[in-house]
Amino acid sequence: MQIEWIWGLIGGLCIGCAAAAYLLVNGRIMGASGIVGGLVDGTAGGTWRERAGFVAALVAVPAVMAWAAGGAQTHVTGNVAVVIVAGGLVGLGTRMANGCTSGHGVCGISRLSLRGIVATVFYIVAGGLVMAVARHGLGII
Amino acid sequence: MRVVFAALAGGLFGLGLYLSGMTDTARVQGWLDVFGQWDPTLAFVMGGAMLPMAVAWRIAARRRVAVLGNAFPPPNRSGVDARLVTGSVLFGAGWALAGLCPGPALASLSYGGVNGALFLIAMLAAMVAAPRASALLDRLTAPTRAPKGTAMDIRALTPTYAVSPQIEPEDLPAIKAAGYTTVIDNRPDGEIPPHLHGDAMRAAAEALGLTFVANPVIGGALTPENVAVQAAAIEAAGGPVFAYCASGNRSSVVWALAHAGQMPADELIAIPARFGYQLEHLRPMLRG
Repeated sequence: MQIEWIWGLIGGLCIGCAAAAYLLVNGRIMGASGIVGGLVDGTAGGTWRERAGFVAALVAVPAVMAWAAGGAQTHVTGNVAVVIVAGGLVGLGTRMANGCTSGHGVCGISRLSLRGIVATVFYIVAGGLVMAVARHGLGII
Repeated sequence: MRVVFAALAGGLFGLGLYLSGMTDTARVQGWLDVFGQWDPTLAFVMGGAMLPMAVAWRIAARRRVAVLGNAFPPPNRSGVDARLVTGSVLFGAGWALAGLCPGPALASLSYGGVNGALFLIAMLAAMVAAPRASALLDRLTAPTRAPKGTAMDIRALTPTYAVSPQIEPEDLPAIKAAGYTTVIDNRPDGEIPPHLHGDAMRAAAEALGLTFVANPVIGGALTPENVAVQAAAIEAAGGPVFAYCASGNRSSVVWALAHAGQMPADELIAIPARFGYQLEHLRPMLRG
């Protein structure tokens, strides 16, 4: 087994424990798009502090880890147009669907939620098709 | 206290994303690239994350409330609809193009460079615009679901309390004519276009002499204050109460919780169930 897969499993267990703690202690679903979306579109109400605390730590911990490791790479594309279009699609899509990889994927599937399962199938299949067309057809990514 | 635990969860989430390599867009795109060099790491991450979470859901099913005292998020009963599918397809397309989804986009902010930040800004801007796009999609798909004009549907849980899906200001005269004296809005403004916002509905309701109470319930994040406000509004009402949200589900949930201990849990579950609202998961809390 490759070492990346083991790190994937370890990191995944961390993510799952974070989601489990957020559910059992705070009583909320750990969905990144929902937490940050509520902060920017004004639907957070009295929950904005806990959302802001979550987001601040989510940014800060990898920042410290990357700094300690002497830098990290995201290998994000240099094509500004692709980045902006992709960001727009992710923002719009996750709010319309009410969830992303963490909310629908991790939290929804583990609850055997039909919506979570359907959403995950659609975004993975759509992602695979767009990847096939954009990388192997158009060659833009 | 809530903020401290939220930050601990957020930090652990960030650590997991960092360790798993999910902030590396090459790895995520590798997972989606089934016709190129396929990278299965993401499956290990998702699988690893679902294990503790599956246990957490089992624990949650046996407990009344979370450690910090609020109710667990009820399952979303709205089923598979056009929003869910369209949104997921759009999200999947963007996810493939950049290799980023919301969690990793935030986690990699410090080392993702200018383009990482641009992605995040575009994502946040689109999140702000999303309710309008959702409303447009609803309008486009509405004719296949229900003919216009029969949208209002008063579902009387008791002779003095009814729930309903979202209403329009034009529906208020009919609600008044049906004998209701108080209207409760359980839907946050962020979900709906401006002409349906609480302020607009309040003006229309008060012009008819109806009492209007705004008690926005965030889907999946019901608070004890929501229940208290609903209970107080029902208590203070001079006549029958009409409450609405997106489907009527949230208005039913706060009604049931407001009557926990005052009515048998069986009834608090059976009455909304007649109208399709499934509250069985609330049973431990409804025993009072």
